[in-house]
Amino acid sequence: MADKDDKRPDHDDQGKGRARGVEIHDARAPSRRNFLKSVGATSLAAATAPAWARVGYVNHDEQEPQDKRADEGEAPAKGTQRITLNVNGQAHTLDVTPNMVLLDVLRHQLALTGTKKGCDIGQCGACTVHVNGVSINSCLSLAVMHDGDEVTTVEGLGQNGKLHPIQQAFLDHDAYQCGYCTPGQMMSAVAILNDAEVASDDAAVREAMSGNICRCGAYKNILSAIQTARKNV
Amino acid sequence: MSDNIIGAAKPRIDGPLKLTGLAKYSSDNLLDDMVYAYGVFSSIASGEVTNIDLSVAQQSPGVIDIFHHDHFPQLFRTPSSMEQENKVDEERLPFEDNQVHYAGQFVALVVADSFENARAAAYKVKVDYKTSPVLANLAQAVKVNGTQLHQDSRNSRGDPEPAFQSAQHKIDFTYVTPVETHNPMEMHATVAAWSGDKLTMYDTTQGVVNARNVYAKVFGLSPDRVEVITPFLGSGFGSKLWPWPHAIAAAAAAREVGRPVQLVVPRQEMFTTTGHRPETSQRLRLATDDDGRLVSLRHESISTTSTIDQGNNPYVESCGKMTQGLYSCENLLVTHSTTGTNRGTPTSMRAPGAAPGLFALESAMDEMAIEAGLDPLEFRRRNYADSDESKGLPWSSNKLREAYDQAAEKFGWSKRNSEIGSMRDGNEIVGWGMATCNWEAIRRPCDARVSLRADGTAYASCATQDIGTGTYTIVAQAVSQVTGLPLEKIEVELGDSSYPSGPISGGSWATATALPAVAAAARKALEELKSYAVSERGAFVGAKADDLSIENGQLKSADGKTVAFAEVLKQRKLASADGEAHTGGAPTDQYAFRSFGAHFVEVRWDQGISNLRVSRVVSAIDVGRAVNTLTSRNQVEGAIVMGVGMALFEQTEYDHRNGRPVNNNYAEYLVPVHADQPEVDVILLDYPDYKFNEFGARGIGEIGITGLAAAVANAVYHATGKRIRELPITMDKLMDDVPQAQQA
Repeated sequence: MADKDDKRPDHDDQGKGRARGVEIHDARAPSRRNFLKSVGATSLAAATAPAWARVGYVNHDEQEPQDKRADEGEAPAKGTQRITLNVNGQAHTLDVTPNMVLLDVLRHQLALTGTKKGCDIGQCGACTVHVNGVSINSCLSLAVMHDGDEVTTVEGLGQNGKLHPIQQAFLDHDAYQCGYCTPGQMMSAVAILNDAEVASDDAAVREAMSGNICRCGAYKNILSAIQTARKNV
Repeated sequence: MSDNIIGAAKPRIDGPLKLTGLAKYSSDNLLDDMVYAYGVFSSIASGEVTNIDLSVAQQSPGVIDIFHHDHFPQLFRTPSSMEQENKVDEERLPFEDNQVHYAGQFVALVVADSFENARAAAYKVKVDYKTSPVLANLAQAVKVNGTQLHQDSRNSRGDPEPAFQSAQHKIDFTYVTPVETHNPMEMHATVAAWSGDKLTMYDTTQGVVNARNVYAKVFGLSPDRVEVITPFLGSGFGSKLWPWPHAIAAAAAAREVGRPVQLVVPRQEMFTTTGHRPETSQRLRLATDDDGRLVSLRHESISTTSTIDQGNNPYVESCGKMTQGLYSCENLLVTHSTTGTNRGTPTSMRAPGAAPGLFALESAMDEMAIEAGLDPLEFRRRNYADSDESKGLPWSSNKLREAYDQAAEKFGWSKRNSEIGSMRDGNEIVGWGMATCNWEAIRRPCDARVSLRADGTAYASCATQDIGTGTYTIVAQAVSQVTGLPLEKIEVELGDSSYPSGPISGGSWATATALPAVAAAARKALEELKSYAVSERGAFVGAKADDLSIENGQLKSADGKTVAFAEVLKQRKLASADGEAHTGGAPTDQYAFRSFGAHFVEVRWDQGISNLRVSRVVSAIDVGRAVNTLTSRNQVEGAIVMGVGMALFEQTEYDHRNGRPVNNNYAEYLVPVHADQPEVDVILLDYPDYKFNEFGARGIGEIGITGLAAAVANAVYHATGKRIRELPITMDKLMDDVPQAQQA
């Protein structure tokens, strides 16, 4: 029942987060000002125009997401805003409408379907990704707010065809059943293991992981996997 | 290899796909030219649609079409037969008419060029309704319409009433369980694509064969023209056993707009239009003699159905099914009744019948033990059933007494002080309770195919599913056991209706059903391989096939010569040796097949703030042979977690004035999270049940949740002195002088 965001000691109203002493943009808690700035007054105005979202996706074709990237020279289509998302180390320039959510852009436009939608309203944690090193619910974040951001998804966890230590630990400990919440569990786990403010005891890890629901109930094995991976991260 | 692969703890062979995000779930399919559908859902629970105003929605960006009861193709209902494998629970087709039976029913469906546009337009559809009186819950429905008794599930023996009247000790209580919602993490989803008159469905289903047959009936097609594909499922817990209206709506819309359609049911509507465990009210009357032996046992239950189905073969929550045979008692009566409410159609949810049924029975057993002055464990031992008295058949295997022994020993039950509230630890009062768990073992006919391939690998396929239970891995284990090939050389494909016909993933059937067929197919493939080996140009030309044995992926002759399977095939320039097999059900006329076990639960109650938690669970489970102890244990542990949810949190609440669900989301319908995890210790007894199948496996998905809520309730009574007969055991129910919410 615990909301992981509320448990975070570095959460504040200004929408600024602190991770290991470094001041960074806190993607979890955008302020109203940041939101308006990122959406842009023109986009908001355009949102009322009937044609604003007819444009659809720039990169609809799953096969060649790179080639049909919005051309740097061309202006973005009316009602859309051009953003650059750096996902798993790769830059993607996209034209998005203001109502496009980061989760849906990752899944539908970039065909990165490893990140899952479990509730679409920030209650289950299945859509957890890292934005600039901070874990967020990508279903609660508009794509236009992430221009220039570094996004890491489950597809970016492993390196050079090798499983990340958390993935290996999940495999060894059978820390899943159906696998649907698993990407989100692992993204939260990695964030927790990198967060000096989350203690390493079992109770602290359970509390910190409580924003990620596993309906199969593999919590015991997930905890074992996280505590094992701790030694290898 | 072949000696110990069955019963080993093996990591899942499909694990890397799930861990890297490459496992494809239904809504991960992004087809060329695909468009998106989003539903408009009824905001009333009873009445009719009088007008649908599309004027604003149709102007919304990207809209392609909007379907509703006046604009939807003519479809056919499925006969909904379990035997024909074309079952649904909600037989009414979407948009069949303008009638509204429950809140959350589809009243329109928007198709647009993007998910965002479909959703935005759906919000702009304006629907007018004429509201009718609502039956919002069991009590209202019984008051207005009474109940319907289901004779086919009635079970009785002896004469319970006089035995009850003349008994020394007796109890008579009613236990209530609420609507629970499955809430698998993956929302129900369908990607429907037509190619001419062939329909392909990337569908969230626990039964690709049944789903295929349903869609064939609904669209008037030969089953050959429909393919249902579900390689991965974000679990189902029963809610994805039988197709629901959204899947049919998506397929119809795809045909109408001439493009593939993706439809995902929003989380909120998974509380309304994709099934739920119904509300139950169960009257338990038990009586014992002076020795603490049951002389009369009656379990009479009412469960809710939808007004759509009531009177037409509705879903019945079979609460008393386990009660019929779990304990020895000469005089017994089990009945099931239903009453129709304005809720969506209910369906099977993990351990259907047994989960609410054993909450009632095992709570009553605790109350009866206390009434008779006996330790609850000792009371159950005295009423152990040597045979299934409801069927007059011997058990194939029943290790319940050993389960009691092992779990009690590990839990430390002998140290229990039976006095209420007597065990303290700091601010907390510790309560200890126990309950029996029980589930029927079922095995159905099944087909499978196995190929031994020239590249040295083996391939197995079956149209069953892996819904998170580990089926991919245990199928590979079965092939490994027969062929001696290591798991990494075995490829398994499941979840496609075009494969040999396999079972639904439900009722704990899949393992016991699929593995014998897979093993038989593997043996047939070996026979074919041997025939190649002994033929002209074969590796063992001149030898007799029967003289060849199998050793670690090789054929071996009597004189000790070994040749790898792959070599045998290469020598004949063949791609593979193939086997297909059909296996039947279990010998249910000779034995009663059930799994048994026991839960021992510790709760901690902080009286000062009325804080209750489950702190420790020790369970001993006898499911015959656990084929993979890593995934099997995980199944039981997960079922215990869901049982904790059932005991303490889970309840779909409806406004009693209008029948609308009020907590239809993950923040208000509480399920256990990491922080709720108790210390769990699962003991898997290991008594292979070879009367059931060659692997001795009876299946494991359901049993862990049965009895758990009762064990918690019994522990809560031990800690607090409060007997909670209405789930969930929320903290308010443990406080003194707190007025309980009234259900009008």
